[in-house]
Amino acid sequence: MITATDLYKSFNGGAVKALRGVSLTVNEGSFAAVIGASGSGKSTLMNVLSGLERADGGRVLACGQGISAMTDKRLTEFRRKYVGFVFQQYYLLPHLSVEKNVRLGADLVGNKDYLREIEAVGLADKLKAMPSELSGGEQQRVCIARALAKNPRILFLDEPTGALDESTGRSVLDYIAKLKAERGFTMVMVTHNRNISEMADVVVEMNSGNVVSVTDNPAPKTAAEIGW
Amino acid sequence: MVIGLKDGAKLFGISVVCFCAVFVCTFFLNYYIDARAIDGVVSGELRVLYDANMTSAKFTCAITGGVLCLIAVVMTVFYVKLFIDGNAKRFGILKAMGYSDTKIALSFWVFGLSTFIGAAIGYGAGHAVMPLIYREMTVDGLPAIAIGYHAELLVALVIAPTVAFSALACLYARLALRRNAVAMIKGVRSAAKYKRRSSGKQRGFLVDMSLSVLVGKKSVTFFVAFACFCYSAMVQMGLVMSDLSSIIMGVMILVIGVVLGVTALFMAITTAINANKSNIAVMKAFGYSAKERSLALLVGYVPFALFGFALGTVYQHVLLTVMVNVVFGDVATVAAYRFGAGYFFITLGSFVVLYAGAMAAYAVRISRVPIKEIMASE
Repeated sequence: MITATDLYKSFNGGAVKALRGVSLTVNEGSFAAVIGASGSGKSTLMNVLSGLERADGGRVLACGQGISAMTDKRLTEFRRKYVGFVFQQYYLLPHLSVEKNVRLGADLVGNKDYLREIEAVGLADKLKAMPSELSGGEQQRVCIARALAKNPRILFLDEPTGALDESTGRSVLDYIAKLKAERGFTMVMVTHNRNISEMADVVVEMNSGNVVSVTDNPAPKTAAEIGW
Repeated sequence: MVIGLKDGAKLFGISVVCFCAVFVCTFFLNYYIDARAIDGVVSGELRVLYDANMTSAKFTCAITGGVLCLIAVVMTVFYVKLFIDGNAKRFGILKAMGYSDTKIALSFWVFGLSTFIGAAIGYGAGHAVMPLIYREMTVDGLPAIAIGYHAELLVALVIAPTVAFSALACLYARLALRRNAVAMIKGVRSAAKYKRRSSGKQRGFLVDMSLSVLVGKKSVTFFVAFACFCYSAMVQMGLVMSDLSSIIMGVMILVIGVVLGVTALFMAITTAINANKSNIAVMKAFGYSAKERSLALLVGYVPFALFGFALGTVYQHVLLTVMVNVVFGDVATVAAYRFGAGYFFITLGSFVVLYAGAMAAYAVRISRVPIKEIMASE
């Protein structure tokens, strides 16, 4: 479970107020989609909830740990133990093969069974391929495998389909949903696409650094059912 | 202007190498030219010493100037490539807008400015210490050698290198810019290049990361080895020369070695860190500790640093053996040279302390690479 209480975050010496007293709860094993227009503060919220960034004020409790007051070192340990990331721009290591990129995540927790993650995202035949030899969708699937290889309790995804076309995007979302259903981790996805949020258990809408609505979704759709 | 004057003038490494090369060559070549004036009046035993002095001046210029010139060439090529890689998007846009490769490449002439700055300061410094050097090389019984001013040295050591290095930067840039504009804008590198580096061996991620850092930028590995080579060779040589020749000569060689070594190491490791910032940030985001991140980036250079040090030791030993035992072999006043084990251990000890200190400082720098390198900002 993630609990955020009264989070504040500003940039440029207070000129840009990205979060203005945000409070939020994401239940264990649920899928929360954070939506909002560009500049609404959704990525900042994800960065703060995941321990990538510290809030200026407020508290975050994730996996039973109060991460707001942690030192850099302890935050790194927290991310190592509990968190996985999928970035919009992939950030694969370009000079390492698919297998070795996935080991970036697997080696952190001593996961020897990391090939299972590569198979799970349908890239078993691309083990030795370099990222530059893969399509955008395949690269994003490597990112998912890399994140899951460290067996995270919470998976944070920042616009995972933002750089993909519709068909590839749907396929990536399908993989994510399938793996979440199998493993039961908590998932927080930032997206500007309202259609994708229909796959989530809970939809958090943001505007100008505030949470304007939190809506439970009793009947999440599949990747094939949502609009694009 | 495609490249600003500031970009061209801030290549500190090239300036330092050029400074050292021109500094040494200025006073030795000036001495060589001035000493020829007394060539006709030297005979007998003094002739042997005079010839040895002249050979030594020529030898030092050729070895020091030649080696440093080659290093400056490699550094220039390295910087041009680094600049193009770092600004690939910008150059890709210019190409897409219709700028020809040649037109863009010609703007790289400003890279010669670093050569000019280093060479000009080296030339000035060489002249400043000239009275001291002439006094050190004075031989009892020989007529006094007056310091003359030779304009041809200004041309050969300052103007010509500036022009040559500007031309080299333009030519290499022209070659390095022969890439697809779209690929440059998108930051795509050739798959084949990365494929060649891929290995099928089963190793841990940190080992693979470390190896890929080494293979990914071989020039950085070269400069780490070169830095340690310079330090080892010139510090040991400086210590020996303070016994064999004079303290001033020894200190001068020692200082050049330390400056060259530190500069090259600084340039190499800074480049490695800058080239891997987003990789370091991804590792940090995933939870790799500061120690693991530093080790992945820095530990691979250690064997090359030690190799450079060992090579420097051998190089200075061979050079001093040839200089002292062969060139000055017939001069009774010059003591015979033997390998200085004491000096070797002093140099090795100071090297270990310096290198470990530098790596500790870089580890702090790596630990401070922000995750912002990869974070979405909103």
